[in-house]
Amino acid sequence: MTESSSEAISRRFEVGRVVERYGIIGVVIIMALLLYALQPEYFFSIQNVTNILRQIALNALLAIGMFLVILTAGIDLSVGSVLALAMMSLTMANADGVAWPIVVLIGPLVGIACGAVNGLGLTLLRLPHPFIMTLGTLNVARGLTNLISGGRPISGLYREVRYLGAGQIPVPGLGEFGAIPVSAVVILLAYVGIAYFLNRTSIGRHIFAIGGNPQAARVSGINVDRMLVLVYTLCGFFAGLAALLLAGRTDSGFPNAGIGAELDAIAAVIIGGASFFGGRGTVLGVFAGVLIMGLLRNGLNLMDVSVFWQQLLIGLIIILAVYIDVLRRRAAVRT
Amino acid sequence: MKKVIALTTAMLMGSVFAANATTVVVAMKGPGSGNPFWAAVQAGAEAKGKELGVNVVVVAPPEESDIQGQINLVEDQLAKKIDALAIAPTDPNALKPVVDEAIKQGVGVVFIDTKGINEGVTFIGTNNEVGAKLGADYICKNVPKGSEVAILQGIITQSTGKARADGAHNELTACGMNVVAEQPADWDTGKAQSATENILTGHPKLAAIFASNDNMALGAVQAVKAANMAGKVTIVGFDANPNAAAAVLAGDMAATVAQAPKNIGAFGVENALKVKKGEKIDPVIDTGTVLVTKENAKDYK
Repeated sequence: MTESSSEAISRRFEVGRVVERYGIIGVVIIMALLLYALQPEYFFSIQNVTNILRQIALNALLAIGMFLVILTAGIDLSVGSVLALAMMSLTMANADGVAWPIVVLIGPLVGIACGAVNGLGLTLLRLPHPFIMTLGTLNVARGLTNLISGGRPISGLYREVRYLGAGQIPVPGLGEFGAIPVSAVVILLAYVGIAYFLNRTSIGRHIFAIGGNPQAARVSGINVDRMLVLVYTLCGFFAGLAALLLAGRTDSGFPNAGIGAELDAIAAVIIGGASFFGGRGTVLGVFAGVLIMGLLRNGLNLMDVSVFWQQLLIGLIIILAVYIDVLRRRAAVRT
Repeated sequence: MKKVIALTTAMLMGSVFAANATTVVVAMKGPGSGNPFWAAVQAGAEAKGKELGVNVVVVAPPEESDIQGQINLVEDQLAKKIDALAIAPTDPNALKPVVDEAIKQGVGVVFIDTKGINEGVTFIGTNNEVGAKLGADYICKNVPKGSEVAILQGIITQSTGKARADGAHNELTACGMNVVAEQPADWDTGKAQSATENILTGHPKLAAIFASNDNMALGAVQAVKAANMAGKVTIVGFDANPNAAAAVLAGDMAATVAQAPKNIGAFGVENALKVKKGEKIDPVIDTGTVLVTKENAKDYK
């Protein structure tokens, strides 16, 4: 082998890696341009861009938690119900006149508690698969939500409680709708934080290791059970945080919140290129997955396309995304 | 490729034209396909749009429980600078901020089917109390005065449940019936069946039952049949579901009360436009109810 050809191979390898890591961002950009071409008047209007940012916040938070769980080759079906439980807990506390700094903490704390129950149940009871534990807590949390609330929605929250979900940071010079939603800042912090945690800390790297090969991880001295409890607790925390945002956005709590939200979160993670079997995926990919779903829904809404087409298209995109992943891995095996 | 260009151009031009016409958005709770009620609301709205020469866009989340979905749909429409909005809120509390936003943007807003909590916004829909009175009145006219009658209530904490229960109670007591039982059965067929079984045990001479919706009326039908009292108890429901219409034709139910969903859609479009133009409209507009008996039940099947 001559030097030049090996260089060519390594360069091709480099290109391949760049495409693998950042190709999904290209997909997002192409999608945005396409939607812009179809709706030139509205798509990039300030109002619509802030709409998109607000609308993806919920799925973005649930998806980043779900991503951590899926990295360990797990699944958390309970996030939608945990969201509802946290939402009703905090809005009921608000209605009872509890001080706002405590109300704000209740959402995330309920999420953390539920996540810890998932993680501990999973590891202590040695249930065969997280699907089962979290299917259980999906029902338990939804039942509890309806029990404590009597199935009734509650409206009217403190301004401070609403800040994360409904607050705006005005940007001077951009007109009436020129403001950054606070929820977008929350998402940015969450994603940067989790990216740092996964890539720059030893605990984060252990999470990848568990998903890649749990046996090897155990042998190499990683406390797998403790990691799992941490991961499910974090996932619960993000569901609780999402509850605080949704309560703020809607100025209310409603027991039906988050029905089916777990499936959207799973879809975003998978579209973003994470492996369903653990150990592989990027935070950037998850964000792209969330954006692809959000842009698609927003764009089709603007074009007055029926929600049934949206469901159908998102379904096809999930299959396509996983198929691309299969092709990519097959190609990787060949070289 | 030419086709793609042509199609894209057509879509672009379409959106430009649409922007010129007056646009009224009708935001329903659930999709028209698969639900005759919403399909009729949509048909009524679209027909009214054609009549008035305005562009009517009907949107709905895939399921009535999808509150976030409805919020997103409305937000996306607001980004398109629409003129008027007739909305049936999936959750009156949760939709309040986005309805406020619409009003702030100068969109003419009315509530249809379900009343929201935003102040000063007109509600257009069925007056459930009047509808329940209509159903109860049928019992008054067809059952001897002083007979024992029962009321099956829906979820009483909901405004619809309360209005129907109150309307029936007031009318039945006013015409001299002996209301022996008023039990909640939460709109549910199974619960209504159990409740009716218990009522019949305690009141074997029961002459009539007013059920606040058809699902409960159909549960009462099962209980009455099981007690071998078919034909002796006059059962009246509410909603005029296809199943209930069939039961009326079969003689299992005596009557039911139909809402007028086409009116809900049509009045919604018309009045949202009036609000946009700054005209004053009534705070509550009744879209009317119709008594459905053997004579007209086939129209509702």
